[in-house]
Amino acid sequence: MRESIPSREWLQRNLNTIIPVSGLILLLIGLRIANPYFLASWDSVITLVYGMSFFLVAACGLTLVILMGSFDFSVPSVLKLSAMIFAVLYPSLGFLSIPAALAVSLVFGFVNGLLLARFNIPSFMATLATSMIAEGAAQVISGGYTRMITDPAFRALSTTMIAGLPSIFYWAIAIWLISIFLTFVTPFGRAIYAVGGNLVGARLAGINVKMVRILTFMVCSLFAGLSGILYASQIQAGHMQVGVLDMIPLFASVVVGGTALTGGVGGVHRTLLGVLIIRWLDSGLSMLAIDLNVRMIVFGVIAIVMAILTIDRRRIKIMK
Amino acid sequence: MDIQKQLLEAKNISKTFDNVVRALDAVTIEVRKNEILSVVGENGAGKSTLMKILVGVYPPDSGELYHIGQRIPFPRNPIEALRRGISIVYQERGVIPHLKVYQFLFLGLEEKFTRLGRLQLEKIIGIAKSVFDELGVRCDLGSYMYELPLSTQKMVEIAKAILSIRLAIGDSGAPDITPIIILDEPTAPLSIEERDELFQYLLNLKKNNSFIFVSHIIPEVMKFSDRIYVLRDGKLVAHHDLSVEKVSEEQLFREIVGRVSYYELYGGHEYGRAEAEGRPIILSVRNLTKKGYYQDITFDLREGECIGLFGPAGCGKSEIAKTLYGELLADSGKLIVDNKEISIKGEPHSRLRRGIGYFSGETGKELFLYWPIKKNVSIVNFEKIVRSPLKIVSVISFKAEKILAEKIVKKLRIKAPSVDTECYSLSGGSKQKVSVGKWLERSPKILILEDPTIGIDVGAREDIYEVLLEMKKNGISMILVSDDPKEYAILCDKIVLMRDGKIQKMYTNEEFKKVMEL
Repeated sequence: MRESIPSREWLQRNLNTIIPVSGLILLLIGLRIANPYFLASWDSVITLVYGMSFFLVAACGLTLVILMGSFDFSVPSVLKLSAMIFAVLYPSLGFLSIPAALAVSLVFGFVNGLLLARFNIPSFMATLATSMIAEGAAQVISGGYTRMITDPAFRALSTTMIAGLPSIFYWAIAIWLISIFLTFVTPFGRAIYAVGGNLVGARLAGINVKMVRILTFMVCSLFAGLSGILYASQIQAGHMQVGVLDMIPLFASVVVGGTALTGGVGGVHRTLLGVLIIRWLDSGLSMLAIDLNVRMIVFGVIAIVMAILTIDRRRIKIMK
Repeated sequence: MDIQKQLLEAKNISKTFDNVVRALDAVTIEVRKNEILSVVGENGAGKSTLMKILVGVYPPDSGELYHIGQRIPFPRNPIEALRRGISIVYQERGVIPHLKVYQFLFLGLEEKFTRLGRLQLEKIIGIAKSVFDELGVRCDLGSYMYELPLSTQKMVEIAKAILSIRLAIGDSGAPDITPIIILDEPTAPLSIEERDELFQYLLNLKKNNSFIFVSHIIPEVMKFSDRIYVLRDGKLVAHHDLSVEKVSEEQLFREIVGRVSYYELYGGHEYGRAEAEGRPIILSVRNLTKKGYYQDITFDLREGECIGLFGPAGCGKSEIAKTLYGELLADSGKLIVDNKEISIKGEPHSRLRRGIGYFSGETGKELFLYWPIKKNVSIVNFEKIVRSPLKIVSVISFKAEKILAEKIVKKLRIKAPSVDTECYSLSGGSKQKVSVGKWLERSPKILILEDPTIGIDVGAREDIYEVLLEMKKNGISMILVSDDPKEYAILCDKIVLMRDGKIQKMYTNEEFKKVMEL
């Protein structure tokens, strides 16, 4: 029998659900009070949807890596590179440039995973290095120029309206659902949680830890690449500013959703909440004409506070 | 008692944790000048608690402490203990690998050698040199700690303990006190040769120091101690002065694990004798060697047979078990499973695919403590619970998962409200049951068990034995590593006696029982 009044214990156990949900509600009320135009029309809803969709795709992949107890700092760079490949190759290859962009993304994921699994390089280090490679590659293939694509078919990928919402929204939700499916009902998903929750235990239980690590990084980069393709289609271009300031907001949205940076705790389903909070906050603040630099301060603080609140101190004694 | 020789006496020490667990019950020990005193006992016997009381980590509930006949208060922290000449070298985590030897030696003592904020390096190195010369530690002061062999690292740690005591006593201006160095399982990570080296070092230092040697490795305790205290379940059960009396290894063994024979405890069990002869051989181990741990290990395991690797801790039995599951890599040799040779460099997941399962005896490490029971069970049983409705993806059936876990909970009599209960809230015995029990439904061809019943109560043991015997009857082969001779008598058909990394002898179950007087 459950008590009608939530007990202290219940509150504590569900803290990482309660915080983001109440945070989202408070945020909505706050932004609405501060700005009467916030969510006042369907157009503003669509603006918010555009703001969060590509972001959700990338955040889903990042969540998988964090659940596994690793980090992937190369997400925004792979996203940018993929957007750039898509835009650069589109005039000659058409939509065949999509598999090309995704294949390159997968290679990055494979390398990230391999560096961790085979060469024991801490993932934050390995992915920082590969992100530099992706940045450089994007610069090289584009020559640093913005690649505008005016073909309506290119744009239709993300912006076709279905039931009043742009198609990028459905792409994002589909990826989100696939990620949830992957983590909750497949043995692979269970293995991700196992590796993130107890590496030694996972190994002793006969899980192929190296394989799980490589595959998870590949899924993450695949999603980052897909996110880049969708975003390029949405803005009709590939350019070097894509994903530039997305690193901290990406991590923040995973952590705000309630996935612990220590791994093994949380889930992709939560990341939707985190993305909503972070992106709405971002949009809300920019609608209030708050300076970008101030917004960066806000996100930095949120990321720190949420990391403090969600890290599972019962399990980690030493944090490096 | 010769009061001249007595250095420290701890009288009637009791300690209870959380008002429930009686860790120490009126234990009295005495440390004499210039001796190696051993304190032996099983895990959880209270050895570590007693030592931590002596160095001021825990306060005792009751008891008295005498230093050269004079009553003194218990130290309240390790620094007070140092001033009374007592220091401890812990089993692990002592050494900082990336410090140079002299830096490590003076770690935490730098204050005394600082002038105007600058460390007096020449002075430090000078002292370090003379200390090492005096104690007979041979190593380059400028090399890094990790470059030294493990035994030398331990020696440096011991030298550091002695030096800390000297400096602490020098401060308080107390008279010349013989230092007491407590060594908590110092030989655990060492190879056989390194152990001997360390002991020669200790024997050398005995003339100026006293050592309390905490261990459960019987042969070395017998070889190097002057006196032995045996602790069991928080009580002092025996005291041997080896200069006066002779003690056999078997006697010590029995005192450590308790006098009650398994036949009295588990009278109902006939050990599950398999008619193994003539059954197909499932695992052949040929000339398996890992330098410094075991050599030339050769044996055959038949279907439904259980072989026990028996011997004192440090004899290599545990390392062989780990090698068979790919947790440790052998240098050379052959492994043949089911008539197919497998690589000796394989990892756990490839061994599992070959039908080898493993329980490490370290439930805390192995379990996913924040997962419910059912997930901990299904982690090795995916094959049983996945469905592929669309043929492309495998999907876990939550219903099958639950049924599977409930079956195991029921069979092993695990006390839990439901299979959704998270494992951290279970008792030690139940955790162990979950850890061992997950293999029940997996039915590997070979199950390797390290200490399957360590640290759990009699009832839980009974349940685990029952299940293991049943698995054996169903044709699952096992390899057992344990500290408890009775466990071998209950589970094993053959017992391989090991010593110093080599196979000495092979006993049948009956012979083994006769030898061990079980």
